[in-house]
Amino acid sequence: MSLRYFKNVRSVTIALVVVTAIAAATYATPLSALGLLAGAAWSLVNLALLEILIVALLTPGAASARALPRVAWALGGMALLLLGLAWLLFHLPALWLVAGFSAPLAVIVLKAASGALLESGAWRALAKSPWRAAAVVAALILTAWWLLPARSLGQRADGAAGAHGDSAVRDAPGLTTAAHGEAPGAAGEPAAKAEGEDEGSDKFPNVITLITAANHGARWAKALHFWEPIVFSLAVGLVVCITGFVASRNPKMIPGGLQNGAEMLVEKLYEFVGGILGHKNARRFFPLLGTLFVYIFAMNLFGLLPLMDSPTSNLNITFALGLTVFVYVQYVGIRGLGIVGYVDHMLGSPRDVLGWMVAPLMFPIHLMGELAKPISLSCRLFGNVFGEDMLLVGFASLGIGMLSFAHSPVGIPLHAIFFPLALLTSTLQAFVFTVLSTIYILLMLPHEEHGHEEEAQRAH
Amino acid sequence: MNFDFHAALALGLPIGIGVAAIGSGIGLGLIGQGAMQGIARQPEATGKIQINMIIMAALAEALTIYAFVVMLMLNKKIG
Repeated sequence: MSLRYFKNVRSVTIALVVVTAIAAATYATPLSALGLLAGAAWSLVNLALLEILIVALLTPGAASARALPRVAWALGGMALLLLGLAWLLFHLPALWLVAGFSAPLAVIVLKAASGALLESGAWRALAKSPWRAAAVVAALILTAWWLLPARSLGQRADGAAGAHGDSAVRDAPGLTTAAHGEAPGAAGEPAAKAEGEDEGSDKFPNVITLITAANHGARWAKALHFWEPIVFSLAVGLVVCITGFVASRNPKMIPGGLQNGAEMLVEKLYEFVGGILGHKNARRFFPLLGTLFVYIFAMNLFGLLPLMDSPTSNLNITFALGLTVFVYVQYVGIRGLGIVGYVDHMLGSPRDVLGWMVAPLMFPIHLMGELAKPISLSCRLFGNVFGEDMLLVGFASLGIGMLSFAHSPVGIPLHAIFFPLALLTSTLQAFVFTVLSTIYILLMLPHEEHGHEEEAQRAH
Repeated sequence: MNFDFHAALALGLPIGIGVAAIGSGIGLGLIGQGAMQGIARQPEATGKIQINMIIMAALAEALTIYAFVVMLMLNKKIG
């Protein structure tokens, strides 16, 4: 154990404690963060003084004349520290002080454990292949994903319990306050706040709600919270763009990995759209339809990632998508049929007397049908994705409720059962959106093309 | 007149969703039945039938989703 080891422990502890203190100030109280920092500082100074003492005592006798004042200095410092500790214990929450005090010790233990782990054979076997290591990292992230919402939702439930005068719960620091950084003194207030906020209080925490909670009341944080789905949808767009760019950057004759997957997806989608629209039209409409599928699929799945949220669980985003399809379909109709043909289509293509007689009736029906398309598209997507998110949140809070009698910070991950269902709905809804858009375009195309398309289909 | 709006909403919303679910459940059952029979009689048309079945199922299911969305809109009014 050299001095360098102590230096490493010190820097790691400082980093760890600062991060934890920020989190504590966000989720518990500023006072608890102060207690944590004070405890860690006390512990670190204590360790440093001990180090001076040991070095001074163990140095060979030649320097003993200089060692004596050092020993005295260290001992005096430790006495002062003990006095300081007594003062701190009266003014700061004791539990957090102890946590901060034990932080350097925990770092030492963890360092020793990780040293032992790195030497072991199992670790070497894991680190041998990047895929194996990635699988382990993914498993760790998944575990964290189970634990994190449980923790945060559990705080909210306990905050509500504290409002009913359960003083035992209220006195435990860090458990009582809702995730908005309120003082613990008024335990009823945070619960009322959490109920009063209709937005963001009944879903998993994501990056933006965490940032907003950390900067409660700041203008930019409010703006970020307000634009949350748009920020996330832009992020998804960025991810899709980068993936597409990487997949097609360096095309090879024999594709591998990412390029293979991307090509397979595009080919299957193209075949599918071609099967409905006919291959001549598919070339024209595929860019929009394929983009819709990939984008919506990615957005639906984004909510399953830790600390992310699906933008499609917000009606505004899905309505924007539906409106895009609506405008494009009308454009295709007017472009392909001409103004006269478009009006004729809206009148139900009257060709005989009977047709002209029902035309005034058909026009409002067709108009309503057209206007209902974006609404039905967007409401279906929104309802499915949002309902699925609600299901996950509901079962997560159920799992927390099952352990809440023990004031456990972690719940049973009941919602994990529904991840496969969420995967299924995400894929299916992206697919349904694309299929319906394709059908709407097909309905707007000039009618004689149907015959061609059917012939083409019969031909192969 | 002592009319409790909140209680009426709290009682009515779940019933509304249930009724909507009954309707689209019947619809989905009919669609599934038709598709399965079609596939059984003509297995080579499975792909086409499945695609159309999914579309129709989405249309039928959407009605429940509309009820769900309405519930979400009115949910906040239950005091």
